Amino acid sequence: MSPLELLLQQLINAVSIGSLYALMAIGLAMVFGILRLINFAHGDLIMVGSYVALLAQLLGLPFVAAAAAGVAASTVAGLAMERVAYRPLRGAHEIAMLLTSFSVTIFLENLAIILFRPTSRPFPAPAVLRSVIEMGRLRVAGLDLIAIAVAAVLLLALTLFVRRTNIGIAMRAASQDLLAARLVGINVNRVIATAFAIGSLMAGVVGLLWSARVGKVDPLMGFNPVLKAFVASVIGGLGSLPGAVIGAYVLGGLEILLQGLLPAGLTAYRDAFVFAVLIALLLFRPNGILGASEREKI
Amino acid sequence: MAMKPAEEGQPRLLARLAGPVVLLALLAVLLAGAALFAGDYIQRIVIVIGINVILVVSLNLSNGFTGVFSLGHVGFMAIGAYTAALLTLPVSLKAVNLPNLPGWLGRLVLSFLPATLIGGLLAMAVAFLVGLSLMRLKGAYISVATLGFLVIVQVILINWDQVTRGARTFAGVPPHSTIWNVWIWAALSVYLVWRLGSSAFGRAMRAGRDNEIAALSLGISVIRSRLLAFCLSAFLTGVAGSLWAHFITSFSPKSFYFVQTFNVITMLVIGGLGSVSGSVIGVFLITVFSELLRNAERGFDLGALHVPPIYGASQILMAIMFVLVIVFRPAGIMGGRELDLRALLRRLARQGRKKEAE
Amino acid sequence: MKTRLAIVLVAALALLAVGCAGKGGNVIKLGMLYNMTGSQASLDTPSANGAKLAAKEINAAAGVLGKKIQLVAYDGKSDAATIGNSATQLVQTDKVVVMFGFSDTDMVMAAAPIAAKAGIVFVTSGATSPKLPDQVPDYLYLACFGDNVQAAAGAEYAFDTLKAGNVYLLIDKGMEYTLLLGRYFKERFTQLGGKVLLEDNYQTGDKDFSAQITKLKGLRAKPDLLYIASGPDDVGTIVKQFRDAGLKEPIMGGDGYDTPLLVQVAGAGAENVYFTTHSLMDSNLGTEAVKKFIAAYQAEYKTPPENAFAGLGYDTVKLLADAIKRAGSTDAKAIREALQATKDLAGVTGTISYQQGSRIPQKGVTVILVKDGKFTLAQEVVPRVVPAP
Repeated sequence: MSPLELLLQQLINAVSIGSLYALMAIGLAMVFGILRLINFAHGDLIMVGSYVALLAQLLGLPFVAAAAAGVAASTVAGLAMERVAYRPLRGAHEIAMLLTSFSVTIFLENLAIILFRPTSRPFPAPAVLRSVIEMGRLRVAGLDLIAIAVAAVLLLALTLFVRRTNIGIAMRAASQDLLAARLVGINVNRVIATAFAIGSLMAGVVGLLWSARVGKVDPLMGFNPVLKAFVASVIGGLGSLPGAVIGAYVLGGLEILLQGLLPAGLTAYRDAFVFAVLIALLLFRPNGILGASEREKI
Repeated sequence: MAMKPAEEGQPRLLARLAGPVVLLALLAVLLAGAALFAGDYIQRIVIVIGINVILVVSLNLSNGFTGVFSLGHVGFMAIGAYTAALLTLPVSLKAVNLPNLPGWLGRLVLSFLPATLIGGLLAMAVAFLVGLSLMRLKGAYISVATLGFLVIVQVILINWDQVTRGARTFAGVPPHSTIWNVWIWAALSVYLVWRLGSSAFGRAMRAGRDNEIAALSLGISVIRSRLLAFCLSAFLTGVAGSLWAHFITSFSPKSFYFVQTFNVITMLVIGGLGSVSGSVIGVFLITVFSELLRNAERGFDLGALHVPPIYGASQILMAIMFVLVIVFRPAGIMGGRELDLRALLRRLARQGRKKEAE
Repeated sequence: MKTRLAIVLVAALALLAVGCAGKGGNVIKLGMLYNMTGSQASLDTPSANGAKLAAKEINAAAGVLGKKIQLVAYDGKSDAATIGNSATQLVQTDKVVVMFGFSDTDMVMAAAPIAAKAGIVFVTSGATSPKLPDQVPDYLYLACFGDNVQAAAGAEYAFDTLKAGNVYLLIDKGMEYTLLLGRYFKERFTQLGGKVLLEDNYQTGDKDFSAQITKLKGLRAKPDLLYIASGPDDVGTIVKQFRDAGLKEPIMGGDGYDTPLLVQVAGAGAENVYFTTHSLMDSNLGTEAVKKFIAAYQAEYKTPPENAFAGLGYDTVKLLADAIKRAGSTDAKAIREALQATKDLAGVTGTISYQQGSRIPQKGVTVILVKDGKFTLAQEVVPRVVPAP
């Protein structure tokens, strides 16, 4: 492969992975923006959606119906999470909410381990998601293209949503200043629920794409993605939606770049380098790339 | 402020010492009992409780008192564990398992206490360097950055195989940890953090946690207090790592990653952030409770009723309990306050007197 | 609140005492330690099932020395502290005469020293590291072959039979098992005269291999075979992604590939994949012993054995029962000597013999080829030269 083809191939890899991270990071960013809550259990929404889709297929449903079921399940799970675990803690200290999300994660993961056994299970995906398209000497997985396309569509839809619809604007207001939003009569409960619903829906979609890419599901599958989404959000600036997207693509690119370019002896240190870059970034821009320096209220 | 006359001062000092001395005596008696009469199994649990106490109490120093919610402290535990183990491993084992160690390290063998101290000090040094950059960050960003630190430590452990054996098991660590030396460290840690917490420095830390700008306006150097707390807690965590290494005698980088992090945070939360006595109580409850559940989940017979083994049930129940505590008692068992023994005794005495009067 | 706390504590301690009391009776107790939950469960659960099946068969026959054997089981939860506590309970409370279990070095090392200190043997059914017996002198035995043996068998098969002169090597850096496997393979393969064109690595649990694949495709000379040292959880994903990228060369690995996940996850990509393992669990192509085992396992658990580890658990219990019988008593020292003297004990996963002074059995290696989505027998190999541990 010529260096140009190599570069292009790696670029496609990076954009594809970045798209998945972006969808996940957006869900995290939306919730953080309004509630200042880092929802670790977001990763488990990926797991829930994937398992439901798997079960639906095992029950005989065609893939599209199963996928819809999976996404619906994620959304419902996210709403339930908000109602049961997070609403009682509204207004609590940031740390308490972080810990709650930890506990929800532990609970969901262990529940899945008991229900579905700790081993991985294969995830059947239709041929279109496993296809490979050849362009010259480049091989692009159909899945990568679909992931990029789906991410683009969803992000566009979300942008229109927060700009044009009432509730979208209400979400942005709540994200800027929750108290003021309440004061102008915004139904904060509904706004928060919507944020969770959208984020969880995206998580469900990511679950499908991720499972198809990896080929299997397991109870702990959500942990790594949520960590990446977390890092992506932080890189871009917590709470900022465009920041989350940018951070995600930066992260995806950084990972692929380091894996490809580091000399063989050092590729194993890739994750360490990624985090080192993250820490370095935070030193110069403590609020991430796009994060606005928060003005503290005295 | 009027100077208190000397005669009033002395009984006050004795009264203050009485509490801790009584507690220590009680602890010593319990430990002696366990060491002499309990079997290996119970002794193991007592040691585990002791090490967990150090871990949670030191984490409380950073997370609870200063609000720096470090998710990467287990990285310091790893540093302490590997450093101390490398220093106590007999030369023959080093030659076999770690043939590529630099010559001086391959020949050096230290006894338990110096090795543990060096482990803790090295962890503290790393914490200082890391903390210099991280303490300026706020809230969630500090948590992510410390998480990054944990990942970096893990990656280095897995890849620096000349020194750490990489992903392979680091075995053959001499079993130096006993009930006594573990609990001496535990008592020391509790005392240290307690004293720090109730001192002026402790108040400064909490001020910085509760309202950074107000604290700054009072002249409190928030960053310096955070850094100090961070380094001190790293030292104690490193010591705990060494104690753990010499208890479990074989470990690998996986032992110091997310599972251990969750465990420590669970105990911290249940005990309550910002409460030292809460930490101790939380550790005790969780360790005992989870051991009970573990034994129960193997299945048991209650008379005619036979309950079959349900492996994994204990993890679920612990998770449920965690959720319940967070939702209904988010400040933990002690609610962020310290256990006031004197007040407790007074209350019990009052109840007793009430009963007498009836 | 405080009184409630006190009550809970008292009840707790009471339960602890009760939980610790062992059952007496006229049985021979074997301590069984497996990870029924956690990351190791996919290998350990079938092993435990195999072991329980063996115990059931033995008890249905005459038992051992006129008594029934009882498997005292603990879940290690893939956690070293839990394993240590469980091993201590087995020794102290349950007073077992032997201990066995686990398919991973870290897990074994958390338990075996405790058994050794009590003078009890620990036999691992599935941990294949040949370095293990040296870590716990005199008391730690393997019931399976060592990784140096299976890597050498793989190297010889690749070089001699598949005529592979150049290989690509991909190693999981996060596991001792894969690190050693890869190392032994490289040593034997280069010893035979083969060449490693590129050696790359990944971390356990990595989900994306596009970077490694791209690096491989960037090679000017193409390898004849891809040797990928991977654990059971990642192998399906790796094979799938490599095949999807258009790499058609034969892929080879170790017993980590012995999992239904390989074919389930990689699908058609699993064609032309070879791996070395303990035995072929196929009711048509296996030996007589294998066929009987599969039938019995199916009858008991309503599913065929998931992988060869089921057979390993089964063989381990039979091995221990045989040793106890020959020892003529439940004295720990006698059992150990009888175990060391085991010769030509036929099992589902091969024939077990311990040479003088060695606690790793001389067992043959089964090379399996995935064809038409099924595991088929490629060859039984006994390596000529085995790299030193």
